[in-house]
This record gives sequence, structure tokens and C-alpha cells, in this order.
Amino acid sequence: MSMMAPPIILLKDGTENKQGKQQIISNINACSVVADSVRTTLGPRGMDKLIVDSKGKTTISNDGATILKLLDIVFPAAVVMCDIAKSQDAEVGDGTTSVVVLAAELLKRSKPFIEEGVHPQMLIRAYSKAAQEAVRYLDSLAVKIEGDSALRDMLVKCAMTTLSSKLVSAEREHFANMCVDAVNILDERLPLNMIGMKRVPGGSLLESRLVRGIAFQKAFSYAGFEMQPKTYAKPLIALLNIELELKAEKENAEMRIASVDEFQKIVDAEWNILYDKLKKIHEAGAKIVLSKLPIGDVATQWFADRDMFCAGRIPQEDLDRTMAACGGSILTTVTQISRDVLGECDKFYEQQVGSERYNFFEGCRKAQACTILLRGGSEQFIAETERSLHDAIMIVRRAKKNDSIVAGGGAIDMELSKHLREHAKTIAGKEQFFWQAFARSFEIIPQQLCYNAGIDATDVLNKLRHKHAKGEKWAGIDIHSEDVKDNMMACIWEPSLVKKNALISAVEATCLVLSIDQTIKAPRTPSGGTLPGFPQQ
Amino acid sequence: MAGQAQLIFDEYGQPFIVMREQDKQKRLTGVEAIKSHILAARAVANTMRTSLGPRGLDKMLVSPDGDVTITNDGATIMEKMDVQHHIAKLMVELSKSQDQEIGDGTTGVVVLAGALLEEAEHLLDRGIHPTKIADGYDLACKASLETLDRLADQFPVEDRDRLIETAQTSLGSKIVNRCIRQFAEIAVDSVLSVADLKTRDVNFELIKMEGKIGGRLEDTMLVKGIIIDKTMSHPQMPKELKNVKVAILTCPFEPPKPKTKHKLDVTSTEDFKKLREYEKETFETMIRQVKECGATLALCQWGFDDEANHLLHHHNLPAVRWVGGPEIELIAIATNGRIVPRFAELTTEKLGSAGLVREITFGTSNDRMLVIEECPNNRAVTVFIRGGNKMMIDEAKRSLHDAMCVVRNLVRDSRIVYGGGAAEMACAVEVAKQADKIEGIEQYAFRAFVDALESIPMALAENSGLPPIDTVAALKAMQIAQSNPRLGVDALHKGTNDMQAQKVIETLVSKKEQLSLATQVVRMILKIDDVRVPNDEHEH
Repeated sequence: MSMMAPPIILLKDGTENKQGKQQIISNINACSVVADSVRTTLGPRGMDKLIVDSKGKTTISNDGATILKLLDIVFPAAVVMCDIAKSQDAEVGDGTTSVVVLAAELLKRSKPFIEEGVHPQMLIRAYSKAAQEAVRYLDSLAVKIEGDSALRDMLVKCAMTTLSSKLVSAEREHFANMCVDAVNILDERLPLNMIGMKRVPGGSLLESRLVRGIAFQKAFSYAGFEMQPKTYAKPLIALLNIELELKAEKENAEMRIASVDEFQKIVDAEWNILYDKLKKIHEAGAKIVLSKLPIGDVATQWFADRDMFCAGRIPQEDLDRTMAACGGSILTTVTQISRDVLGECDKFYEQQVGSERYNFFEGCRKAQACTILLRGGSEQFIAETERSLHDAIMIVRRAKKNDSIVAGGGAIDMELSKHLREHAKTIAGKEQFFWQAFARSFEIIPQQLCYNAGIDATDVLNKLRHKHAKGEKWAGIDIHSEDVKDNMMACIWEPSLVKKNALISAVEATCLVLSIDQTIKAPRTPSGGTLPGFPQQ
Repeated sequence: MAGQAQLIFDEYGQPFIVMREQDKQKRLTGVEAIKSHILAARAVANTMRTSLGPRGLDKMLVSPDGDVTITNDGATIMEKMDVQHHIAKLMVELSKSQDQEIGDGTTGVVVLAGALLEEAEHLLDRGIHPTKIADGYDLACKASLETLDRLADQFPVEDRDRLIETAQTSLGSKIVNRCIRQFAEIAVDSVLSVADLKTRDVNFELIKMEGKIGGRLEDTMLVKGIIIDKTMSHPQMPKELKNVKVAILTCPFEPPKPKTKHKLDVTSTEDFKKLREYEKETFETMIRQVKECGATLALCQWGFDDEANHLLHHHNLPAVRWVGGPEIELIAIATNGRIVPRFAELTTEKLGSAGLVREITFGTSNDRMLVIEECPNNRAVTVFIRGGNKMMIDEAKRSLHDAMCVVRNLVRDSRIVYGGGAAEMACAVEVAKQADKIEGIEQYAFRAFVDALESIPMALAENSGLPPIDTVAALKAMQIAQSNPRLGVDALHKGTNDMQAQKVIETLVSKKEQLSLATQVVRMILKIDDVRVPNDEHEH
């Protein structure tokens, strides 16, 4: 029959075109595959993933967003899962795994409905309403923390909860305090880039420390550097964006010299240009000269002669932090240099850290920047520590602005689930089923925590449901004693914002995936993608 | 899910690809992944095991270019092995961090990590959760560190003889132990001369190591000054100078050139003559400027042509050309001179001074080097290493570096523990006592940690040709009976087990670092349960 009527070719040959119910189901399956790959990282007994990319770079991580980024997902609908993890990471910094796991569970619970022929829009509508109710209830549950010392305490505890699932969990108290101190140094806006993280391989974890000021690696230096003093008390610091080197002033310029007498004059002029700059800096009273651009050997030796310290090729961010900490401004010309534009700190010194020499600026005038020196056994270890600290710092920042908390360890999830289930009973019609499914989905978090810890999930969930039904709203899992406990008392706290954001983005992602009923994927152009020697299957 | 079918089918039998190139990835999950990691890490540890201790053997490594390295230094072996496996790489980095932080004990840390993983494997077989094992290890590690703190003795840093003994321990396992005393002295003296005892800081950049093939290892010496692999620029210049005033120049002996692109138009013969005249005049002025400020030797970072060379000789000004940047710097520090970028800026104050500058020649070869000695500032020193071949010299350099690190660590923190496995044994005894007090499953891991600690004296005994199990058992009994934590393996068959008497000591920092680094990496390896590796990595 098809031979008779020529088919209408709408799309280019090779284009994938899927539609209908089948499409939704296959999208849901893809999303759960993605969630499966991060599922086991959840919680204090969560495991890490080791991923080697095509370039041979090894990453070991427990952070959902990092893992998903490295997986390089191509399935169109599954990319949504990646995106919510990323947005959770950007918005609150933690809970990236939970958001993915929650979204996947919501989708999984929707699958039977779709298969039975429920219209996706019905589900979407019910879910949106349920999410609103959940958020409202979450807000009413959140406990607000008042008072300065209580606030600090709360921040430390929130940071500890985040760190408990990471590689550094054994030293979580040390690092939690460090994160809180670091964030407290910052100004009102809490800019993240004012906390510098420097990785120095070697040393034990506990040697990681917070420098109340700036620290960076010694820059490449020219001859003469070792003759400069390496410690100063109360030095003035000049921050420059000037190349202090003998050089051609303009590209492509050419001089024609009429007689040899002028030769020396020109050379002198060049030297004087440089010397003028150096003299101005010296006269302004600066003891330390930092520049983003190179500082040449002549300048290095000139400074050494005058007992000044200089370092060239300082990365922009280090220079910015120094400016934030020590005051002053970054100069692009020295003509206007004066006392006011110089920074100042109490103490400057150079010290060996690991195999590198580091420059330290401490006791800074404005003191709104700090540096965390991370130590550890291997590059990957430190990299993972850095990611974990980043999460913790984000949490502290968020919690500081929004100082209400809920109990973690599955407690809040069980309570939301219980509330929604009860609420569902008041709804007439088949929407009730969808509310029930939505409520059940929250149980995935405690369930997964149990699985990862090797605890009997059914048993614990039953206990939890029972306790919550009795009104113990903060009952959660205690991984260490493998039992159920009041997690508010046990100080397993999370900022309520983390949960709220996770809930909203998970529901949004679910609705998005459910509402797709057709994918059209253009064929890959044959030029890219295949390697020689790898025949395409 | 292990070894997961890489193509996933949905309910309608259609395959779908979620991740890019997922069919080209190898994936391992769960206990299988952990086991395979443990296997890889242990393989690395086993390679290193035989080079531990004074009777440890060397490894010979040939690089792809055919360079041969013979070494006993853990970090170097690991680095040159060029391992591919991602977990084995972690072990390499482990030893590298120990090297960077402490500089010694790089073999011990890998052996310990290997032993910890081996014990972890047994526990995994019993079904204990990997993070519980890691938690237990952490607890045990903390207990060991506390024990070490308690056992540590204060070391008299001022006592040069004692420092030399310590350096000897480190050198004991290396190829240079033929002239161990001499090398130890060199290491101690060089560190002490650059050390800043007030801030407890040692800048290694001020110690220069120079090697030259030929001569015997015994001819190695420490020069309180600088050796540069250069000669006087003119063969007829004097070979030995006394009470030298050095001008350290970073400008070439040639007419100055502007950096801006320039062109000199020579239009007539007069002009050309003038140019010749000018050039000659500049040379003369430069030499005059150098002479006028009182310099008797010119060291120049750049070169100068034969004409300038001749003029220098003519004016009786010995000169050295093409001295490297770092050397210029060290010379300036040693001679208290200043580096001068222009002839016009030369003044008498900026000159450095040295008691003796001489050229030394070696054997029958025509090689010469320049030695600058009797400098006013002893903060820059050079170790001059001689040896039969390049491999020997390189290994001697590495061994000396290790020994210097040990001395430096003592300068930084003067607490010590006893070597020869004594510290590990003492920790094992102490941690075993505490194990019974631990609640929960961590207790098993705690005990496993004890067994792993014993693997260090075990390996030492093995490498020294002693019956390992007998020795370790006897040692343990002795330590407990005499409650003497200084008893270790008598690897050199000296007849006593007391490491204090044998003077085998190690720095506390180094030992603590070994324990905590090994525990950290083991935790990291145990915590991984899912690995994705591009498939082609091992095939090609």
C-alpha cells in the first residue's frame, strides 16, 4: 500500500522523530538512568564516583552537579536533570544530588499514570498545586535562629551537615568552622570570589587553614629576587597593571638615527622611562610592588637595591583579593601614584608551604578577603576537598542571609510527605491519586539514605512514618546508630532554603519532562564525532 | 548493574543513548570496583616494598628515550614508572606529596597505604561497609598520632653530631652509604648554613647542587661559595685571583641598543669611521668604568665578542661570560654584591667581594670550573658531587636532597621518634590496646589498622634477610615486656634492637605525615564505588 501512495517527506533523512506516550515513557526512563548514576552519593554513607574523561583526566567526586557535568549527557530530555543539578548548584550550592533523585522519583511515580492513559497535563496541574502546598508547609515548619552566637552555631552546624557526606567528613568540624570564619570575613554582599582557595599537595588535611588575608604562590622571579627582604611589618603595597621592563614603547615603531651621537641618547631615554616609573613607586613609599604584568630583571634588581619587594605576573583574582583586603587600587599608570592609592597590611612574609614558597599578607586594613590553604594527599583529594568546601561555603552564605533551618537526615522529607498525604484526603476526584504519588515521592530521600548506608530501608521507613504520624515532626535517620532519632536535637540541620529550592526545581523539571510529547532530533553531520579507525556502527 | 549493558532499551524495545559515547566507556560499580582498585594499589605497593630500609634494593628504570635511572627513592621510582591506572596514579601522588612536604619516607607511605588496603579487602569480604572501614581507620590513625606525640623525644638541633646521625639514617638505604658520614656532614652543614633558625625556615633555593662525572664519590665536597660551570673568557687570564672585587653585570659588553626597532643610516665613509670610533670608545669606557670602581673581576650575564674579550685582557680585567641568571643571583648573595644592570651605575659599594676565585681542572679532561670561595656571606652554598657515572651522580643528588630534607624538618620541628619500625610497632601496641574500647563495627577496622602498621617492620625484616614473622612477633613481645617503644628491627645486624643505641631516628613530622597521608588516600580509594573510564585507554 505504501508503494502506491508516495510518503510525504517532511523531515530530512536520518532525523529522529519520536512522539506520543511512548516518548514520555522513554524520557522518564532516561531520567532515571541519570539519577541512578548519582543516587549512591547521597548521605553520610554515600560513595564517590571516579570518572576518567576522554583526555585521561581523573576526577573523584561526591558532588551531584560535578558528576553529571562530567557524564556528558546527550539524551535531550535527560539534559533537564543535569540542568536542575546545575541550577541548584548555582542557587544554593548544595543538595544537587537530592534534587536529581527527587525529580527522578516523581517521574517514576508518574509513569504508571501515563501508561494508564492519564493526560500529562492533569498530572502537571496536580503537581504544581501540591508543590505550592509543600512550600507553604515547609515555610511554616522552618525554625528561625536568633542571636549572634546562636547564629554562628547554626551556620557551623549547617556546614557540618553538608560536609558529612563528603570525603572530608572525618574533619567536618574543623572545616565547618573554617568556612563560617571565612564567610564572616566578607562584606555585606558576601562575594564568593573574595575567598581564595589555594591547593598545596602534601600535608595532612588538618593542616589546611584559613589565612585572614591573602596568600599566593611566589611568582616567577628574575635574578635579584632572593636579595629582596622577605618580611615587612606594616608595609605599603602598590598594586599595578604595568609592565616594569625595558621594552619597545610602541609596536611597529621604527627610529631612524642620523648619527651615532644620538644613539646613546635614545638608549638613555628608554632607561629613563623605566627608571622614572620605578622612582615614582619608590617615592610614594611603597615597600611591596605587585603587578599583573611581568616585572623584569632590571626592575627586580632596582627594587632589591632599595630593600623593596616585588612580584610580577600575579593572577588577576589574587590582585583583586589583595585590593579588597589591603585597600588601595590597581594602577595602570604611576604618574598619579600617591599614598592614598597604596594598600596596607600589618605583616608580610614569605613562607614555605609544601614544596612551594608562598607570600602571605596578614592583618589587612580592610580585611574583606581571605584565603583558604588546602592541604591533602593527592591532587584529586584536594580538588574534591575544594568542591566540598565550596558547597559548605555556599550553604553558609545562604544560611547567613536566610537564617531559618529545618532538620536533615530525611526528617523534613518525611514530614512533608506525611502532610501532603493527609492533605490529599481532602481532595475529591482522581487528582487525589496524583497527590498521593507526589507525597510518596518524598520518601525516596530517607529511603536512599538507608540504602547507601546498608540499613534496612523498609524497617526504618515504617518507623519514621509511625513517628511522624504521632507528631514527632523532626524524626529522621541516625546513620551512626542505624536507627531513628530526633534530628533537630541531633543538630543535623539544613537551611530551609536548600530544601525549598530543591523541591521547586525538582517539580519544575518533572512537569517539563512530562509535558514533552515529541522530540525531533536533527541528524549529526557526518564530519564531526567519528574518529578515524572507529567505524560507525 | 555491574558491567551494565551499555545500550538501554525502553519498554517498546527501542534503544536509547543517554550519555555521549557510553558504548565506549568501561564501567565498574559496587564492591567489584573497590576490589579492582585495591588490587591495582597493592600492585604498586608491592613494587615498592623491596626498596624499604637500609637493606632495601634499588630499582632500575629505563625511560622511553633510553635514559637509565637507578634509584632507591620511592618518589622517584613512582614518578618514573609512569603508571596508567587511575588508582595507581593516586598512589604515585601520595608518594609525591610526601616528597614535597617532607622529602623523606616516600617508600614507607606507599607500603603502609598498600597494607591498609590489603586489610580493608578482608573486611570487605566480611561485608563491612567501606566508609565504616574508612571511619575506623581514621579513628585508629588519630590514636596513633596521639601515641606518636606522646612517644616523641626532643632533639637537640644545636648538636651538629646528632644531626649528622639523623642524616645518616636517611642515607643508610641509599647507594651512597659507602661514604655515609661524609655525605651526612655535607647535608647538615649545607642546611645549617642557609637555615634561618629564628623563623625555622630553610630556603632550598640557596643550596646549589652541581655534579661532574669523574673522580670518586669520596671527592664530593661542600663549597661555602659558588661553583659555576664556566671559565675565564680569555685563556690567558689568570687562573687564580685573591681578594677579588666582583662586578656583577647583567648588561653585555657591547654598544647599548635601544629596544625600539631602529635603523642607523650610514651614508658616507666618515659616518662609518665615526661608528667604528664610537664602538671602540664605548668598549673602552665600559672597561674604564669597571676598572675605576675598583673591580678586579667582571661576571657578565651575557656574552661579548672577541674584540671586547681582547680589550678586557689587554686592560688586565679578568671576566667571565654567559653566567646564568640563578647563578648570578647566588653569587650576588654570597659576595654581598649588587647586580648592576648598566655600566653607568657601577659604584664601589655595589661590588661583591670574595677571598678566592680559582679555576679548577679535572683529571685529564679539559673541563674547567670556576670556584668562588671565602665569601663574606655564607648563606649560599654549593654541593659539588663527583661520581663514576651520571646515574651515580643523579642518585647521589637525590639522596642528598632527602637527607637535607630530614635535617630541614628537624630545624623546623625538633621532635623525633625512633626508626627501624620501632615507632610503627609502638603505635600498633598502643592502638591494639585501645581497640577493645571502641563501640560498633569500627572496632574491626581499628584492629586491621594495627595489622597494617606491623607490615612496615615486617617489610624491613624481610628486606634485611631476617625471618619476618618471627622477628616481628619477637619484637612485639619485647616491646610489651620491656614497655620500651624504642625497640625496632635490627636491619643492619648490629646486635641490638634498641634504636636509640643504634641512633636510627626519624622526625616526628615525617612519621605523622606518613600515617595521615596513607589513611587519607585509603579513605579516598575505599569511597569510590562507580568508575567510568574511556574504554580505549588500555587497549591501545
